[in-house]
Amino acid sequence: MKFGIFFELSTPRPFSREVEWQVYHNALEQCRLADDLGFDHVWAVEHHFLEEYSHSSAPEVFLSAVAAQTHRIRIGHGAVVCVPEMNHPVRVAERAAALDIISNGRLEVGTARSSTWTELGGFRVNPDDTKKTWDEFVRVLPKMWTQDEFSWQGKGFSMPSRNVLPKPYQDPHPPLWVTVTTPGTELDAADRGLGCLGVSAAGYEEQERRTREYHRRVQLCEPAGGFINDQVHTMNFLYCHEDFRIAREIGLPMVNAFNVANTHLYWTREAFPTRAYQTLGNAGAHMKPKKPPVDDPSVAKGLPEGVGIGDPEHLIATIKKWESVGVTGINFLLNAMEMIPNQQVMDSMKMFAREVMPKFQSPGHVSEAVFTPNRISPAGQ
Amino acid sequence: MLVGSADIDELKKNAGTIPQFTADDIVFEDTTCFQLVAEMDNTAREALLPSALHPTIPASMVLQVFNVRTSVWGAFVLALIRVSCRSGVRARGFTLGAMVTTEKAQKGLEHVLGLSTRLAVIDMEEAYAETRISVLFSGAQVLEIQALDPEPLSTSDLQFTGTLNLANTPNGLRLVQVECIPQLMRVERLQSTFNSFQGEYWGSPLLRPTQVVTSTISRGDFLLPAIRFVCKPDELAFTGTESVK
Repeated sequence: MKFGIFFELSTPRPFSREVEWQVYHNALEQCRLADDLGFDHVWAVEHHFLEEYSHSSAPEVFLSAVAAQTHRIRIGHGAVVCVPEMNHPVRVAERAAALDIISNGRLEVGTARSSTWTELGGFRVNPDDTKKTWDEFVRVLPKMWTQDEFSWQGKGFSMPSRNVLPKPYQDPHPPLWVTVTTPGTELDAADRGLGCLGVSAAGYEEQERRTREYHRRVQLCEPAGGFINDQVHTMNFLYCHEDFRIAREIGLPMVNAFNVANTHLYWTREAFPTRAYQTLGNAGAHMKPKKPPVDDPSVAKGLPEGVGIGDPEHLIATIKKWESVGVTGINFLLNAMEMIPNQQVMDSMKMFAREVMPKFQSPGHVSEAVFTPNRISPAGQ
Repeated sequence: MLVGSADIDELKKNAGTIPQFTADDIVFEDTTCFQLVAEMDNTAREALLPSALHPTIPASMVLQVFNVRTSVWGAFVLALIRVSCRSGVRARGFTLGAMVTTEKAQKGLEHVLGLSTRLAVIDMEEAYAETRISVLFSGAQVLEIQALDPEPLSTSDLQFTGTLNLANTPNGLRLVQVECIPQLMRVERLQSTFNSFQGEYWGSPLLRPTQVVTSTISRGDFLLPAIRFVCKPDELAFTGTESVK
């Protein structure tokens, strides 16, 4: 089981330059601590115009700072929105390669297509086309990273022959992932040999179904890149405290605030009927009525199903359950709208690393960069 | 968190009245529904909603025109403008203005659904490649839309969100939640343009569409179940929601 931290860089109103500065710098401090504590990944999303919910519109810049301030944690650029109106694929390839070099080969690249009209409409993207352009991006990025001459005649973009530079430090290229919000996207990931990066809080039953189908299908895949990344990670929240009641009192309002901010986005399906968007994005998962499993430790204690809030013992039981349904990694949101003071967030991370993480590591585990396709020594070593 | 800032006393002036909640569902049978989503001037984002509701980002409005051929109130045409919003975490539309073609439907819509309407002449002309909608109120053209180039969609591609009507109810002044369950036979997406839109006739001069996002025309039956929930207009849905017995 791998553990990561995951940033939306959500920002409370009233907006000010100081508040945004604080959000970014608190997050950087959490990244440095996560690196020291042995967390495996740090992910930063790409979103645009999503007031409060996410002010992470330039994750490559944020992650460059993370790369420069950390030593071993892997850098998750995810997910890059794969529509040409927002990101030209050449620029995605170039930025990712540069970030991979700066981080000494620690980059992971997530891909996505955006699920809100707030974002797609802001860039005048036709929602009918995003699945097609995403598919094109995930097939051309590995080629740009590995071929000296690349040219393309496609639906989303075309270009004459050029050498896209620099090439990534990892050989043949960083692992590729797909963010999975809509049920069924995990199959798209499996068919292309891409890692499954869950960003909506599916319950155990739904996650087990998705994971089982993913693992079955990925074995038959035609990889879009130079290798298969068959990891399945989910998103969760984290607040760890020795006293369960305090953990719930502090952690639960954070979960609720995040979910409320999430549902205030203008989902593509709501604004623009199309075959390309069959669900209300993340909101669908929160709104779907479901019968919680009787053996879920969270629900029994008045928490949402499978949420990472509680004392260490509770979190160990919760994560074991995620592990049992085939999840290979969990990426945690540590805060929402700065509701939890930064010192408390860091204390929670420390307790989690001390009390919970060792239960999921094999004896003799050494914290190091967790996955490099074709391991190469960082420069100078 | 953004919440509405409209003056509820002002909104109340146009509120309908439900003398008594009824247990009967309403069905609009053999109905054509034109639905248009438009972004609107962001200055209206909070100003058009009561404090129980959260606006969407960006601010947006939905026009719905129902050409109802069969119902308990006979045949009629209903046009309403809703401001897109969230009630708690649920996607909803708050009705700001509505017009209808018959007195019988006007009375029924108000007494059963809490929807306050004004009588108007509403035309929906459907041709193979074009739909035209016009609304005349007191001789003034208050809305005219031209929708072209229909493109077939699957009936499952179209989503209807619930409507909230501000009304005087047996529980007091409440947002009445009207759900809509369509059984569609056909859905098409069209390219629409406003030839005319007078926001002041639809509830507020702040209603200014800035760009049409999309529009659809659908055909089928629309089930409006008996009212199950109402919400206090000045309290967030998490605590202000009441069930209707």
